[in-house]
Amino acid sequence: MKANLKVQIYKNRKYVWFVSFSLCLISIIGMLICLKSSSIKAPLNLGLDYTGGTQIILERSCTDDCISINTSEISNNIVALKKEDKSFSLNTSPNLSRSQIQLLDNSQLISIRLPFLSADQSESVVAEVNKHFGPFKNENTSVEIIGPSLGKRLLKSSLISLFFAFLGIALYINFRYDRRYSFLALFALLHDILIVCGVFAWLGYFFNVEVDSLFAVSLLTIAGYSVNNTVVVFDRIREKSSMENQLSFKYQIDKAVGATLTRTLYTSLTTLLPLICILIFGGSTLYWFAFSLLIGVIIGSWSSIALAPSMLSITSNKNLD
Amino acid sequence: MGKKNYWFLFVIIFAIFSIFICTNIPFQLGLDLRGGSQLTLEVQPTREITKITPSEIEGVKAVLDKRVNGLGVSDSQLQTVGTNQLLLELPGEQDPSGAAKVLGETALLEFRIQKNGTAAQLRDLQTQRNSVESIINLLEENNNSSQLLKEININNDINQLFEKYNIQSDQILDLVEFNILRNKISTEIAGLFEPTSLTGQYLINAGRRQDQNTNNWEVTLSFNNDGGELFADLTKSIAGTSRLLGIVIDGISYSEASVGKQFETAGITGGAATISGNFTADDARNLEVQLRGGALPLPIEIIQIRTIGPSLGTQNIRLSLFAALTGLFFVAIFMIFIYKLAGFVAVLALSCYSLFTLSIYALLPVTLTLPGIAGFILSIGMAVDANVLIFERLKEELLNGNTLIRSIDASFKNAFSSIIDGHLTTLISCITLFYLGTGFVKGFAATLGIGVVLSLFTALTCTKAILKFLMSFQGLRKISNFIYANQIPPTSINVQ
Repeated sequence: MKANLKVQIYKNRKYVWFVSFSLCLISIIGMLICLKSSSIKAPLNLGLDYTGGTQIILERSCTDDCISINTSEISNNIVALKKEDKSFSLNTSPNLSRSQIQLLDNSQLISIRLPFLSADQSESVVAEVNKHFGPFKNENTSVEIIGPSLGKRLLKSSLISLFFAFLGIALYINFRYDRRYSFLALFALLHDILIVCGVFAWLGYFFNVEVDSLFAVSLLTIAGYSVNNTVVVFDRIREKSSMENQLSFKYQIDKAVGATLTRTLYTSLTTLLPLICILIFGGSTLYWFAFSLLIGVIIGSWSSIALAPSMLSITSNKNLD
Repeated sequence: MGKKNYWFLFVIIFAIFSIFICTNIPFQLGLDLRGGSQLTLEVQPTREITKITPSEIEGVKAVLDKRVNGLGVSDSQLQTVGTNQLLLELPGEQDPSGAAKVLGETALLEFRIQKNGTAAQLRDLQTQRNSVESIINLLEENNNSSQLLKEININNDINQLFEKYNIQSDQILDLVEFNILRNKISTEIAGLFEPTSLTGQYLINAGRRQDQNTNNWEVTLSFNNDGGELFADLTKSIAGTSRLLGIVIDGISYSEASVGKQFETAGITGGAATISGNFTADDARNLEVQLRGGALPLPIEIIQIRTIGPSLGTQNIRLSLFAALTGLFFVAIFMIFIYKLAGFVAVLALSCYSLFTLSIYALLPVTLTLPGIAGFILSIGMAVDANVLIFERLKEELLNGNTLIRSIDASFKNAFSSIIDGHLTTLISCITLFYLGTGFVKGFAATLGIGVVLSLFTALTCTKAILKFLMSFQGLRKISNFIYANQIPPTSINVQ
């Protein structure tokens, strides 16, 4: 184990760019496919938080293996509520035929997705499903209802906070380093965010994985992590270039990356360990949150070790050879 | 004890203090961890009050507080979110629709005066409403019997009304449809009236009584001084004219009253009014309760409801804590394996960090939610990073042939700028999230932000203090305690 690993970022910069470019391209294609797809209609498969609606999760109380339930039967029963139930008798009541029903955790959980309902209406749905498909562990029933206007506002506030966080980070680096570093750190950050979004676009397209407010939180965390990593490398490059300015800049880059490589790998690993634990033991609630952070940490390490330093050689006006 | 050991002593005292706090002050758990209901209410602007100011939100909040207390849920919380929303948390409450009903039945009381030239239109609508009302009364008296409905002569006029208001019924008509029809007619009536500045916010009490002559129930209202004056002005302005005074609740006109010529000079004074809307005893009582429960100055709408089962919550917290502890265990093993004695110091520093953070959560108090726990776990990752940065530098200094004590000082000095940058950039995103985020995003930002600040503190003080304390023991001052033999270049092997 050597402390200063020999890396040749400058020499291999074209490969680095090719890898990053391909990943970004695949991500953009994924987002375009989602945008064109008739069921998603957005670059990412937006979840309940952003679209508004009702999500009911029921836990079945079956002791051994739960027998699979026919989801279309549940759907038919819910549609029939429109005629039977008083809370749906107003002509403004929501369109119940637009329900999505999924069986989760080996048919133990039933997840029902409906348009925005009132509290009364959601209770009627729970009661109706309970009547035909029960028994359920009633104490574990979870109901979430989000108004459509709230969803739009949440999406807007997520985008605004992402924008301002990026701006704040860029200004800080600008203040601590210079415009070139701040531009590159921001570039690396956007590269990381784009790829994480791309992964979730593909996941959304193929496996119906949705993005929620927690996803926005994870993007911001990834942004902080990515910049943190990049800044540590830049800090070293700056230190090297002031101490060993007789060396060529290309050599300084390689040396700085080499000097910080073990640190970056170790930190990534120590961050990944708790994340992997959440993925394995943390239950379903934090699963995709931990997953997006995991992707972000890996991509963030890549961009700070390889992409950002190699990009520095383009923008540098120093003699590189 | 040397000067450097004061820091160590300080860390020890701080850690003991934290343990004391953590064991004595209970953590505040969010609804996702202990189960319950959460409702987001949005205060709606009206035609008169188009912009919602903080004082108006406070008014709505005060009224809702009273109603929430009536629900009898312990530990309930009502807080303002943003500019026009209120967040109501009802721990342990599994029936949000009950709560929604009390909150949702927000009798917004308004007094309106009839617009000029609407007399004929109003008379027609009143006649229509009367005939619908008589059917409703019959149905109510006979327990909504469908048999009765067949006997009642539903004439063409009523059928036309159902068509006009676009009320469809898949099956046979019953009480529900007639009630909808009555409300729709009454809403149209309310539209013939102009709003005034007299609303429910001036109300101080509501009651009910039975009229001695007609046996009909009435709801009585009494206003505060300002409201009494407004009411006098209002009645004075229409006394003796053909314009009527409409009493509108939630956009539905309950009664339209004429004001006699005798009030032309001073209006109806004394600050009291009566609503006589052909009420049954039940109607009158419901209306009275709704009005007296504090009429809301502005209408509200429930835009979000979340209900989480309590055992789902405890399961979540168990899983997350288990995941966090397992993760930390692996991190500890990793650190000791890579950095030997320094890794052990890092593990001690990280334990201090966790203690400090948890005690701050208990002290502030921070409401712990699932994302909050995730934020905590991530901030541990950041705290580890600071230690890694320092120890990597330490290794470098040692490999460059510096003495141990000098290397330790240099490593802290050299790693400082990277640590500051990393922490501050994360803190910037936390602050942005905290100010712009809503709900649990805010919780995440708060826990991560506290973690970042404390991690900065522990990395720069605890790690150093513990390391220096250990270095005061002669037996531990060996380079081989810090780096593996195969890492040491042959030239520097003798340097200590």
